[in-house]
Amino acid sequence: MGEPLLVAEDLGKTYGTEVKTVALQGVSFTLERGEFASIVGQSGSGKSTLLNLIGLLDTPTAGSVTLDGHDTRRLAANDRARLRNELLGFVFQFHHLLPEFSVLENVVMPGLIGGASIATLRARAVEVLGLLGLDGLEEKNANQLSGGQKQRVAIARALLNRPALVLADEPTGNLDTVNTTAVYDLFRTIHRELGTAFLIVTHDRAVAQRTDRILEVADGRLVQDVRDVYAAPAAPPASDGGDADAATPPPPASGGGDADAATPPPPASGGGDAIAPPPDASPDGGGDAAGELSAGGPDVGDEPERGGPAHV
Amino acid sequence: MLSLRIAARFLRKSPVQSGLIAAGIAFGIGVQVFLGSLIISLQESLVDETIGSSPQVTVASAVEGESVTYTGALQQTLEGHPEVTTVVPTRAYSAIYTQGDGSAPLQVTGGDLQRLDTIYDLSGRVTAGEASLEAGEVMVGRDFAAEFGLEPGAALTLVRPDGTADEETVTAVVDFGAAAANRSLAFVAGPTAAEVLGQEPDEYTAVQLQVDDVFGSVAVADELAAEPALEGLTVSEWQAENEDLLGALQAQSSSSYTIQFFVLLAVALGIASTLAISAVQKTRQIGILKAMGMKDRGAGRIFFWQALVLGAGGAALGVLLGVVLILVFAQVGTTIALAPQWGFTGISFVVGVAVAVLSSIIPSRRTSRLDPIEVIQGG
Repeated sequence: MGEPLLVAEDLGKTYGTEVKTVALQGVSFTLERGEFASIVGQSGSGKSTLLNLIGLLDTPTAGSVTLDGHDTRRLAANDRARLRNELLGFVFQFHHLLPEFSVLENVVMPGLIGGASIATLRARAVEVLGLLGLDGLEEKNANQLSGGQKQRVAIARALLNRPALVLADEPTGNLDTVNTTAVYDLFRTIHRELGTAFLIVTHDRAVAQRTDRILEVADGRLVQDVRDVYAAPAAPPASDGGDADAATPPPPASGGGDADAATPPPPASGGGDAIAPPPDASPDGGGDAAGELSAGGPDVGDEPERGGPAHV
Repeated sequence: MLSLRIAARFLRKSPVQSGLIAAGIAFGIGVQVFLGSLIISLQESLVDETIGSSPQVTVASAVEGESVTYTGALQQTLEGHPEVTTVVPTRAYSAIYTQGDGSAPLQVTGGDLQRLDTIYDLSGRVTAGEASLEAGEVMVGRDFAAEFGLEPGAALTLVRPDGTADEETVTAVVDFGAAAANRSLAFVAGPTAAEVLGQEPDEYTAVQLQVDDVFGSVAVADELAAEPALEGLTVSEWQAENEDLLGALQAQSSSSYTIQFFVLLAVALGIASTLAISAVQKTRQIGILKAMGMKDRGAGRIFFWQALVLGAGGAALGVLLGVVLILVFAQVGTTIALAPQWGFTGISFVVGVAVAVLSSIIPSRRTSRLDPIEVIQGG
């Protein structure tokens, strides 16, 4: 097995100096390349804090984040910014599009930040927009789109630099059910097509249950790390060697995460419920979106497996 | 140049705000250019009026009352100095004019009319009669002529210091541009003065000079004093004798600089506050750009570029405004020769841009330090 994409080791975040508030402590887990995982937890549990630490948007007060082999503790601000640009894609609850720019300009922005020219990025941006069903909207202003379209543009932007990991913080929090399903299906399809790893923060268990792995955070601790081995795609994704790993049942979470996962979940978390089939996890759930993608990858027929019995 | 591209887009998408900042800079620099050009023109005019029509450097005998022998070597030295523009040997004496119960002292200068014109512009200042300074002729000031009812052609009897009297004919009445001069100056022919003073043809009371740069007179005087041809002579210059005027000019400059400083300060504060507001308004955008990997310095440069673009545009507009104002004022009945001061205008433009760029330091630093997590957490 190759180097893990992400290793969080004994990660902690404490706010304040005199009055200390512990937002996160002792979180350890490993994310392999091409994994499709979610972080669940109640509001204030620390899941967004965890995502921000992993995304190098925030710095831990304890522990470390190793991203693609880079120990981020030793990195200067500029190097952290470069890693964010090259390795990570962000999708937030709010789309955070730049209203001064067109859809195309918004999508190419990570590439421009990385130093590429708009001419070299245009084709890829159009391709990604097409992938997300946003053809023909390239020159529109971001403000002229619907909520669902804006979020899809934000996803396109997150994907432009072909990141190894997309971090999504409540990406469907502002969307209705139809758009929520569509966005989730897009994530799943992109994961399958491009081998991109996803880590989705959500409080919606229905969304979490459709991922391959659920990390549950409660009171700032990782209390559960469960994998739905049956939910993983039957065929390996069409990209790098990491995909081969994704096709096999992933290993148990390493380090402290194991210990946490081994501890019984708090009563409120309901481990068994967490992996119950979602009510809308039907074969048609993402069929339309997935159907637009290239025929080379596994098609939406894989979906029912996720709806079947899931196991830790 | 992504920062520049983003800066330009931010400016374009906030036309009112951008316009207001540019207008603020334009008005500030416009006032600066107008005020500066006005003061400089005013001072040049004042200096020209006061000093332009009088000798700026005077060569006289080191012994009071003795004559200067105007030798070929002396002439060559004086005329050969690169800064000296006019050399006029003159003879001067005092006389008293009496008419009935009234009398008036006169400071009489004798010399060649053509040469005198190069300093005093007598021919160009005639208000009555015709300029002429042949033997037995005199040109008097306007106020003096008015006081005693003298007109061209009138006979003028001057009583010399030794008590002897001489009668001259008034050929012209002159306006010297200053009341004191108009009351007390009179010009006669060189030989007439030589006769009065008992001087030989190559002897003069003083040699009067004008120089290219009036404020460079001190250096010219020092250089001339060191010349061998001027041994036994003293060289004086106008600045040492006109401290009050210099003080007034300096005070005028100081007040002008003070006004300009506060105008620029107001402009700087205006730009800084507007850019700071803009930086706050764009916090979300900057935060998301940083989350996507934009580095602190790149983010900070956005407002530097905004300030530079606004500064250059606003200052260019301000220069245009100031120059137009000066030209309009020059056309609308002013006695001062108003003209745009291009050197000063260029400096004003650079200062305008610099002030704008300096004003961007606070928003740039704020943007540079912005932590993307603040924006992400704020939603």
